[in-house]
Amino acid sequence: MVNVAHLIPLFPFLAFLINIAFGGKLKNACGPVSVAASAISFVLALFVYQGFRSGGGSYSLGTWLSLGDTPLNFGVMVDGLSIMMLLVVTFIGTLIQIYSIGYMQGDPRFSRYFAYISLFMASMLGLVIADNFVMLYIFWEGVGLCSYLLISFWFEKPAAARAGLKAFVTTRIGDTGLFLGILLLFFTTKTLSFHDLQQISEGHGTVLAIVAVLVFIGAAGKSAQFPLHVWLPDAMEGPTPVSALIHAATMVAAGVYLVARTYPLFLVDPFALQTVAVIGGISALLAASIATVNNDIKRVLAYSTVSQLGLMMLGLGVGGYAAGTFHLMTHAFFKALLFLCAGSVIHAVHTQDIWKMGGLFSKMRVTATTFLIGTLAIAGVPPLAGFWSKDEILSAAYQNGHTVLFGVAVLTSFLTAFYMSRLIFVVLFGKPRSNLHPHESPATMTVPLMILAVFAALVGFVGSPLAHHAFQGFVGGGESSAASQANGGMMILSTVISLAGIGLAYLIYILNVNVLPAGMLSRLNGLHQLLLNKYYIDEIYDAFLVQPFLGLCRISYKIDLGVVDDLVNGVARFVAALSEFLRPMQTGLVQNYLLVQIVGLIILILTLGKLCFRY
Amino acid sequence: MIPLSYIVALSAFLFCVGVFGVLTRRNAIGILMSVELILNAANINLVAFNRYSNGTDALGQVFSLFVIAIAAAGSVVGLVLIIAIYRNGKSIFVDKYDLMKW
Amino acid sequence: MAELVFFVIAAAICFFAVLVVTSHDIFHSSVWLAMTLLSVAGLYFYLDAPFLGVIQVLVYVGGIITLFVFAIKLTAHIGDKSIVQTNRQTIFAGLCCLILFALLMNMLQHSCHGPFPHSEPISLKQLGQSLVSVYVLPFEFISLLLLAAMVGAIAIGRDKK
Repeated sequence: MVNVAHLIPLFPFLAFLINIAFGGKLKNACGPVSVAASAISFVLALFVYQGFRSGGGSYSLGTWLSLGDTPLNFGVMVDGLSIMMLLVVTFIGTLIQIYSIGYMQGDPRFSRYFAYISLFMASMLGLVIADNFVMLYIFWEGVGLCSYLLISFWFEKPAAARAGLKAFVTTRIGDTGLFLGILLLFFTTKTLSFHDLQQISEGHGTVLAIVAVLVFIGAAGKSAQFPLHVWLPDAMEGPTPVSALIHAATMVAAGVYLVARTYPLFLVDPFALQTVAVIGGISALLAASIATVNNDIKRVLAYSTVSQLGLMMLGLGVGGYAAGTFHLMTHAFFKALLFLCAGSVIHAVHTQDIWKMGGLFSKMRVTATTFLIGTLAIAGVPPLAGFWSKDEILSAAYQNGHTVLFGVAVLTSFLTAFYMSRLIFVVLFGKPRSNLHPHESPATMTVPLMILAVFAALVGFVGSPLAHHAFQGFVGGGESSAASQANGGMMILSTVISLAGIGLAYLIYILNVNVLPAGMLSRLNGLHQLLLNKYYIDEIYDAFLVQPFLGLCRISYKIDLGVVDDLVNGVARFVAALSEFLRPMQTGLVQNYLLVQIVGLIILILTLGKLCFRY
Repeated sequence: MIPLSYIVALSAFLFCVGVFGVLTRRNAIGILMSVELILNAANINLVAFNRYSNGTDALGQVFSLFVIAIAAAGSVVGLVLIIAIYRNGKSIFVDKYDLMKW
Repeated sequence: MAELVFFVIAAAICFFAVLVVTSHDIFHSSVWLAMTLLSVAGLYFYLDAPFLGVIQVLVYVGGIITLFVFAIKLTAHIGDKSIVQTNRQTIFAGLCCLILFALLMNMLQHSCHGPFPHSEPISLKQLGQSLVSVYVLPFEFISLLLLAAMVGAIAIGRDKK
């Protein structure tokens, strides 16, 4: 049953076509159409999984085109990694779409929302099953396009329109890197297939390292890694289920997936891996520290995503292939859960400022409970999902001798536990801080929350020592066997870190204990400002990149207006003037035309007579 | 009898006078009259060549009969058109009707 | 003697034709046209085609000229003498026609050194027989054409109000 894999992206695409064409007629039926499509895809993914277990593998649907001597196939990649992604994307995507039916109820562009979501799913699934760089790149751009459409879905809001543009332009920088990487790879090795990556790694050392770094730039753009992470927090302007989808299943997962997919390239040169790990570490720490002070419920989660993606990259970079992909999967579950919970909260209180919420636990029990489970999962409290995968990354970093990166990962874990607990304590506990009337969300929203909560809690076991690292074996992370050894000390350390973070947050936000001496607090004010302003990265970009570029644009605009346009208009004006001069020839008087005809006849007689009849 | 070329010359003259009329008359009826002159010039030729040919075929005369019939049909339709135009625009001066330009 | 007759007829044709195109009054033009057509009918008699001459008189002078006069009268007030009847290209057009005539004469001089008739003229019987035998198909088509012209003329000329 492996060879139904190529049908998986087809169903969401079909749903996209139906919804975009007949959305006006279908009205509220659009949601179920999209949900049904991704549910079918999920079932197909299960079949593919089954087929793969019984010995199936990648296959090709035929040759698409020939690049010189290299045939480019309509290949379908079926291996552990892609099946894992297929299952996660279709499963979480389906739940998010069910949730969206409730969340987007009454939106004037309800049908278009589901059309975009389905296209998003189709692009992502296509990306996952692509077996060569060209197909991957096509779907890669499709994902980028859909993220643009969905982030700026409420384009009436200027902030949303800007955020969509920012996401598009920022990821485009990464896409350029990826494109250059693809070109360079083809130029040196004459192959674009993922199947060949293992063989070609010999002999092209340095060039392949450059290719790897270029590919990683693309991945960094999509996965919001430093320094291209700026778009992700702004992407919170989109509808919350979209954020969930982007953060959990589709958009940002694509970057990590790309690195995992092209992992043989990175293994060629330690430098490439080092880059991945360092960038991942920087992103993880940077975003985590920003998240500790942010006051917007969705932005905290957004920075948390950047941070967690950083951890995945770090995991991949230190050689923990299985650890990184494992974290990608567990993160998909609990981050989707967290975003959907946040959406449920926002749906109830109509604000995103956490300091206006509070005491929601008693009002929204389902949401609050699931939110709590998600938080514990991401904080890494055993035995929830995040614990196992984070533990894997820490082990990988430690055992492969990356002491500094290990420190970074530990610190990030601590900060993660801290800011997530802060979020929970402020939003769900304490006293209501403003006059809100929260209510529990409808069943279409709470049921997906509950399902996701169960998975967020339990999905970690598939990669835990208790299950003999079944997941790691499945995605084929043989090289990290050392890292996946049961490591009691590491587990204890990881647990202690998480509990310490939660405890600190408990002290500060529930017991209101002043943990720092008074003098220290004022000294930390500067740091607080720095974090609140997100290290001024947006401002730096604005001053050094955006403004000069806009200045250049303005100059170009002037040139375009003054030189190019005038030139074109000048040509047009010249023709117009010439026509004005020639126009009187057409008098409209029949007799003038006839006279010209007679003159013509005379000329004809004169010349023909001379030439032919020699008069 | 006189040489054929005399008759042909006469017909050529009549043709040129007709063309002149078509070119210069402002009145559409005048143009139609000039067209009749041109047709007559052609007819003269046909009859003359028929008379001056060797055979016993009546082609030339038959043809001029046809021309006369067609000319009659043509001038009938033409005159009706002129009257229709006159009814619309209160004028049959062709230089008033320059709608064909750009 | 025969030559004299021809020259008289030819002179009449030329004279009346020029008057047709130069006359200031359109009604006068129609009279001159009638005279021209009569002269042409005379030329037909001279060329031993009496039937054609009769038809010329019947159809042209009797039918078409009458139509012209009707049309002129229907559009009467613009036939006024104070209105210029020729357009602004008259001189140039005249020049062109002269050149054209000169060219035609030139060609005639080079090509047609008139043969003289040495056969019997076509008899009326011959003409009639060929009309209904060899040329019966065009003959029928002409009748169709006349019918179409009649229907068309009625359709166009009908006052739609």
